[in-house]
Amino acid sequence: MLEEIRNTRVDRVILICVLLFALFSLLAVYSATHGSKVAAIHDNFAKQIVWVVIGLVLFFALTYVPLHIVFALAYPLYAILVLMILGIDLVGSISGGAQRWFEVAGVKIQPSEFMKPVLVLTLARYFAPEQTNPNQPKNLLVAFGLVLLPFVLVLKQPDLGTSLVYLAVIIPMLYWRGLAPFTIFVIVSPVFAFLASFNYYSFSVAILLISVVLYLSRRNKRIAWSIFAGNLFVGTLSPLVWEQLHGYQQQRILTFLGMVDDPRGVGYQIIQSMVAIGSGGPFGKGLLHGTQTQLRFLPAQHTDFIFSVLAEEWGFFGSLVVLGLFLVFLMRGAKIAASSGYRFARLATMGIVITIAFQAIVNLGMTMGIMPVAGVPLPFISYGGSAMLTNMAMAALLSNTATQRYF
Amino acid sequence: MLSQDRSARMIQIVIACAFMALAVQLFRLQIIQREKYQAQSDKNRTRRLRLEPPRGVIYDRNGLPLVENRPSYTLSALPIEVRGNARSLAFLADLMEEDVAAVKRRLDQADNPFIPLKLRRNIDYAMLVRLEENKLEYPGVSYETESRRVYPAGVKSPHLFGYIGEISKGELERRQEEGLMPGDLVGKKGFEAYYDRDLRGQVGYDAIEVDAVGREVKDIVGASDRTPIRGRDFYLALDARLQSLADSLLGDKIGGVVMIDTRDGGVLVLCSKPDFDPELFSGTLSAADWQRLLNDPGKPLYDRVIQSAYPPGSTFKMVAATAALEEHKATPETTFPCTGGVTYGDRTFLCHGGKGHGTLAMLDAIKVSCNSYFYRLSMRLSVDEWAAAARHYGFGARTGIDLPAEEPGILPDRDYLDRVFGKKGWSGGMMLNLGIGQGDLLVTPVQMAQYTMIIANKGRYYPLHLVYKIFDPRTQRYYKQKLESRNTAGISQETYATLHAGMFRVVNTPGGTGHASYLEDVVVAGKTGTAQNPHGEPHAWYVGFAPLQDPEVAICVLVENGGGGGATSAPIAGQLLRRYFDLKKEAAAPPAVTERR
Repeated sequence: MLEEIRNTRVDRVILICVLLFALFSLLAVYSATHGSKVAAIHDNFAKQIVWVVIGLVLFFALTYVPLHIVFALAYPLYAILVLMILGIDLVGSISGGAQRWFEVAGVKIQPSEFMKPVLVLTLARYFAPEQTNPNQPKNLLVAFGLVLLPFVLVLKQPDLGTSLVYLAVIIPMLYWRGLAPFTIFVIVSPVFAFLASFNYYSFSVAILLISVVLYLSRRNKRIAWSIFAGNLFVGTLSPLVWEQLHGYQQQRILTFLGMVDDPRGVGYQIIQSMVAIGSGGPFGKGLLHGTQTQLRFLPAQHTDFIFSVLAEEWGFFGSLVVLGLFLVFLMRGAKIAASSGYRFARLATMGIVITIAFQAIVNLGMTMGIMPVAGVPLPFISYGGSAMLTNMAMAALLSNTATQRYF
Repeated sequence: MLSQDRSARMIQIVIACAFMALAVQLFRLQIIQREKYQAQSDKNRTRRLRLEPPRGVIYDRNGLPLVENRPSYTLSALPIEVRGNARSLAFLADLMEEDVAAVKRRLDQADNPFIPLKLRRNIDYAMLVRLEENKLEYPGVSYETESRRVYPAGVKSPHLFGYIGEISKGELERRQEEGLMPGDLVGKKGFEAYYDRDLRGQVGYDAIEVDAVGREVKDIVGASDRTPIRGRDFYLALDARLQSLADSLLGDKIGGVVMIDTRDGGVLVLCSKPDFDPELFSGTLSAADWQRLLNDPGKPLYDRVIQSAYPPGSTFKMVAATAALEEHKATPETTFPCTGGVTYGDRTFLCHGGKGHGTLAMLDAIKVSCNSYFYRLSMRLSVDEWAAAARHYGFGARTGIDLPAEEPGILPDRDYLDRVFGKKGWSGGMMLNLGIGQGDLLVTPVQMAQYTMIIANKGRYYPLHLVYKIFDPRTQRYYKQKLESRNTAGISQETYATLHAGMFRVVNTPGGTGHASYLEDVVVAGKTGTAQNPHGEPHAWYVGFAPLQDPEVAICVLVENGGGGGATSAPIAGQLLRRYFDLKKEAAAPPAVTERR
């Protein structure tokens, strides 16, 4: 019986999802690039084929790697990637330009992309021992330290989108590991205080809500008061932090919030994307017949805005298939996480589900105009080698966990 | 483990809810708001190209093209593409021989960066070749084919035809309903301006599919296309040969000639000097050229035949004669003595030529243009009687010729004099000067030509006009000018007969002041004028018509500060009339172009 289980080493649902993702990615990238007269863009389709093939090989390969090896590699990989990102930041600051990758034999490698799963693995390893209680302040501090180090390094590149992915994963993972809801509240409330701090009314409301929760929690008065004071402090300080953000970062946030009217700049991207999606209608304009795509009205149409290409050419029902595929993949991933008996794998797989879910939701929401333009690619679909390998590796880990229920 | 299951369920629910929200937004965009975005997408990808129609051609009465179109090349640049391309920008600046910053500024200021901006019209062949050769290398820098006006017959007559130029902001606003665009060429002055709407034709449209930077991808054949319709062609009553002759006869003189067909009011000659080259305006007029035109002491931009008013001098004496005859204040036989001047009150009004003309009757007084006779005749007239006669001849009002900015001149009637000098500020002495065409009286040469036509036709006249026929390309039909003759009521045929007899003597009898316009085979009747003015030498006038018995043409010649009308202007009129009748003999031409009613 044990042999039987070990022979079915690939999770069928994950495999089918991955194959369909690869197919959709190739169709979308082809449509987005084939008409371009710019060789660098036109060649992207051929490159994407190569990445998909390498990615699938990687998927199958990693599916067979015993999880204890993955466990053992987590910290070393984390250290190597932090050093690489640090190196890129240093080169970037010396040359004075934004830098996210380094080149090896003509291939651009983006370590910050690989950091997404490695960070998940690192956290999973740290919290894998039974006795590592996430509710202990020391463990919390270590966890945040592990996240904030790459977060700050990548934010400085500057790559807001990728750094947000790191940040997004920690709270859900800690929740999954058993962090108390009140502690989550203590951690999350300053974020709301920050977001609300740009307007006197919203800030007053936020502070009021925080006070109500603190009162209802019936905690020690000293703790309650210090949390209250902390939030007040964050709220007053955040406008100063705002000044430290890059102009384009401020611009993106402001445009998303509808606070600037900029139809030729950042707003233009969102408008054109929404026009592409909306004009697709229920059945789409047909593959290679999307006028927004083929006439290049879409910005970054083979990378961040790849979903607009699909939605324009495949229509509402085609888009629902893409959305549904993501949902099936993520639900399956969560189920794998919940049914694994190995704590490291339980944590790692849920972290992966959250990483992919966060990116998919932010990216899809961005193309539809309900999320800010954060520079997050659509997992599995957007053009990009590092991202494709990373996503395939993460899918492999899901499949791996599904079939290795015993250590 | 139970709480772990709940946690997993919680994470799944959060993710599912987020995807639900995405699906709802997708439904909103693709199903509910689909039409809005579809329209936006269509608007994105299609652009209507304006197809400029060729401007109408202007012909003379014999079908000779006077103003035509030739292709002209205009340097243009697509701002959205060139602004960000340093190479294209440098190439453009080099072509224009301007510095890069200045060129970039112009591109930045473009109203619509997705529409090519016209930078320089009428570029030369060398620049065109450079553009064509480097088209692919410098994207966004290109040229457009437009048309420019040329004057194949060599008759440039800038005051008559005017010129075309880029529409101004103000004009664009005023003529909103005509669908004009910035950069369009419109008639700026003269005939081109007066008939601009007809000459311009109807703009056509061609729908094309464009990409995000406005480059044409393909032609869309569809209902929104419209073929441009070229402008209407105008056939003028003008005779190019006579117009050219008038131009050369005036030469360097300052003045003008108006010659009209008395049988229909058609303008045969309308010439003002000095003039300028209208092609200066077809490209980009340099600031230096513009300043030179503005500061030229001869004021070449000024149209002297319709925009300039002068004292008419003795050519106006037929008005006083008409008033005296019609009001029975005199008969043709009434005589007055001339002793070289007339004393009225404490002032002496001089006749020309010193000693005086002796005692004269009316016909001889016209013949020698005796001032004394007309001073005394005018003493018998009230300002009202004289002004009424002048009004019969059309003075004090525009002739209505089909050109813009015509001046009405000044006819000093009682209202005018009361206003200018005060009710008690002027006396009967005023009439003495007005009677010989001096004083505050100001007339234009076209008014004088109209006045001569009315005398020639003994009261019947036609509205002065340049156009006798229009060809409409839309209907492929010619439309003839419909003219109604009018009559000046209240002047008797006997009065006209007297004026004809007097004007006959001016030209055809020894001692007549207009003898220089005498023709051997055709009887010419005329009147000279030497108008005193505060700007130096008197203006030399001549008005006349021929043949006396069955008039065909009336002419008015004015030479500013030209001295005596008989010496300076009458010979010009004589040669033009000579040529007219020679041409008629040659080919029984020019024929009457408008049917008489």
